[in-house]
Amino acid sequence: MTTGPKLVSILRQGSYLIASIHTALDDTQMVRFQEDLVEQIGRYRSRGVIIDVAALDVLDSFGARTLRTIAEMARLRGAVTVIVGIQPDVAFAMVSLGMATGSVVTLLDLEEGLAFLDSRTQRNATSGRPALRTLSRGAP
Amino acid sequence: MTRSTDANITSADVGAMRRADEDELLPQLVAHLREHRTTLRQDWASRIQESGLLLAMTSQEMAAETTSVYDNYVEVLETGSVEALQRYARDLSERIIPRGVETHEVVGIVLLLRDVLARFLFDKYQRDFGLLNRVLDAYEPAANRIANTVAVSFVEERERVIRQQQDSIRELSTPVLPVRERLLILPIIGVLDSERARQLTEQLLTGIRTHRAKVVVIDITGVPDVDEAVANHLVQTVDASRLMGASVIITGLSPLIAQTLVTIGVDLSKMDTIGDLQGGLEEAERLLGYTVGRESSPASP
Amino acid sequence: MVRRIVAARVQDGPTADDLVQETLVRVLAAAPRVEPGMLESYAIVTARNVVASLWRERDRHRRNQHRVVDLLPEQTHDDGLVAQEEQNAVVQALARLSERERDTLLAHEVSGQDTRSLAGEIGSTAGAVAAQLNRTRARLRVEYLLALDQAEPPTERCRPVLLALSSGDRRRQREVDAARHLLECDLCARLSEPLMERGQARDDEIRIPIHVDADIVAARQAARELASRLGFSKTDLTLIATAVSEVARNIVRFAGLGEIVVELLDQPRRGVRVVAMDTGPGIADVEQALADGYSTYQGLGLGLPGARRLMDEFAIMTEIGRGTTVTMTKWREER
Repeated sequence: MTTGPKLVSILRQGSYLIASIHTALDDTQMVRFQEDLVEQIGRYRSRGVIIDVAALDVLDSFGARTLRTIAEMARLRGAVTVIVGIQPDVAFAMVSLGMATGSVVTLLDLEEGLAFLDSRTQRNATSGRPALRTLSRGAP
Repeated sequence: MTRSTDANITSADVGAMRRADEDELLPQLVAHLREHRTTLRQDWASRIQESGLLLAMTSQEMAAETTSVYDNYVEVLETGSVEALQRYARDLSERIIPRGVETHEVVGIVLLLRDVLARFLFDKYQRDFGLLNRVLDAYEPAANRIANTVAVSFVEERERVIRQQQDSIRELSTPVLPVRERLLILPIIGVLDSERARQLTEQLLTGIRTHRAKVVVIDITGVPDVDEAVANHLVQTVDASRLMGASVIITGLSPLIAQTLVTIGVDLSKMDTIGDLQGGLEEAERLLGYTVGRESSPASP
Repeated sequence: MVRRIVAARVQDGPTADDLVQETLVRVLAAAPRVEPGMLESYAIVTARNVVASLWRERDRHRRNQHRVVDLLPEQTHDDGLVAQEEQNAVVQALARLSERERDTLLAHEVSGQDTRSLAGEIGSTAGAVAAQLNRTRARLRVEYLLALDQAEPPTERCRPVLLALSSGDRRRQREVDAARHLLECDLCARLSEPLMERGQARDDEIRIPIHVDADIVAARQAARELASRLGFSKTDLTLIATAVSEVARNIVRFAGLGEIVVELLDQPRRGVRVVAMDTGPGIADVEQALADGYSTYQGLGLGLPGARRLMDEFAIMTEIGRGTTVTMTKWREER
């Protein structure tokens, strides 16, 4: 994508992909990240995806939408997506903006994300429950 | 520049002074005040005692502070710069405010010093009325400026202390309590204004991070009513907590506040509300127990 | 003063006069690059240089009189041409000033007459003369740049805008809507650069040109950094950065070209103001654009209404075919 330090990294761990965003991305880079990630989900037939956004100091409408799109596309390929590491101030700005991450699960950190995916992918066969945490909120 | 060092001013001195450039009046005055420092300061200290000011201070403290103030005072007369005095006044205020010294006392002692020194000047220059007038012309504006500076510094320092106290009270009034592992309780008592709501949000969200909380119980039994902006803020806080992976249970929601929430378009069915704190804690334990015990996913609110 | 310095070194009168003229021209030519307070000392240095170069030239003439071709051309042809152009530009610029402006300026800058005595002569106050001198210098800089560019301003708004920029008068800049004009007028955009450089962009204001994706990130980071100086809480800084991100994206998506100005405020309270301006097509239905969920691109439809919720004040001005200006403010919570 660029020379210099990596903007994102995507690691494979068993049937999961762990994607970390290391720095602020512009829209083009964000879309590129989406394409890379979705491509790898398909290639490795991943069952779970964790996106770590702890390094982001802003998640605006485009960023949130991209994350939601990734989750949707992952779901169509049979993978569960979890977003982890949203910072306190970023979380508050997101809800102030009126943003919904749709049906995407959001958790505190990587550890939580992995624990969730473990429980989720084990239970997947028996539980037909949709996404656990929905954050849609009517416009005030 | 010639400067008289004789305590008793002879008529020759006075004559010299009259001829002296106006610019030299203040330096002469300052020299006199330095020279008579001991007696003038004592005079001033006893006037303070007579007036019943600064009773909170011991006589040693009084001696030390009055000496410092006196020296600072003379220095301002000399240099015309109030900066050093300002610093000293703020420092002094910081020391004496916690001991209950009031504004009128601080202003009072500075005015007393002004009077003591003015009397001294009267005595000294009474033989030459014209000269006295010019000395006072030079002295009065400087003296008033000093009184002003000290008073303002004191009041500012006091306001700062009050603000600080308000901040700590505010912090105390919205404690984020880690009850057990991964469970936070946030009891809110009293009126919830925008500023407090903002602070509450920041404390809660950073608390979730530091305590790695999975469940938060916000108890608002002690909140009489909220306006729409604060209600909105509350809902945003709940949503933001969820984005950080924590479930929020609200307890003690009064019908009045529930009404406000509905008015601003909040879907109460999407909020996890439980009657009282006891019930909320039980629900929280259940959520955590459920998660831990069954090794399964966090339950949805 | 210049005359004194020159006269001390050059004996014959007419030459001295010529040199004074030339010095003046050089000083004024450099005016856009020289701080106002430095002009006088600059004039002295320039006078010395001019005299020195005259001596060199005479010396060379003496030594080279027997030669047909000057073997040591002091300046390359281009340099000479540039200097000539600069001088012409200064002369033209001076000619465009009113007689009174010119006289006062020359009396002050070249003869070294102070503002008080100038004020005495024309029955004014020193302050008023100083203000007038500042205006004259500002005008001279504008006229000089125009003459150098050999350009005639295409619109009636150009001169007032350039003048406001040159004088660094921010209120006036707002009155004439300078920022928008610079987006619309290529000539002024070009000329504004040397003018603004000189005005030493204030350190409590940042301007970020918005054109491509990466500018969105740059804008929000710059806004956060500037606002952090006012001691906003981290949450507030993120709210501001997010709002800037949204309005910047709108510029990239809909207008393609614009600018974001972030400015710290003192009055009536401390706060930060963000002005996002573009030269896009404008918004036909503002109310609709401010409604949640309205989106004409692949976003969440939260751009404008979201930014409005993040800030304390929000205003939008739009004109079809000309562009849109969003002005939003966040106040620092005073406690």
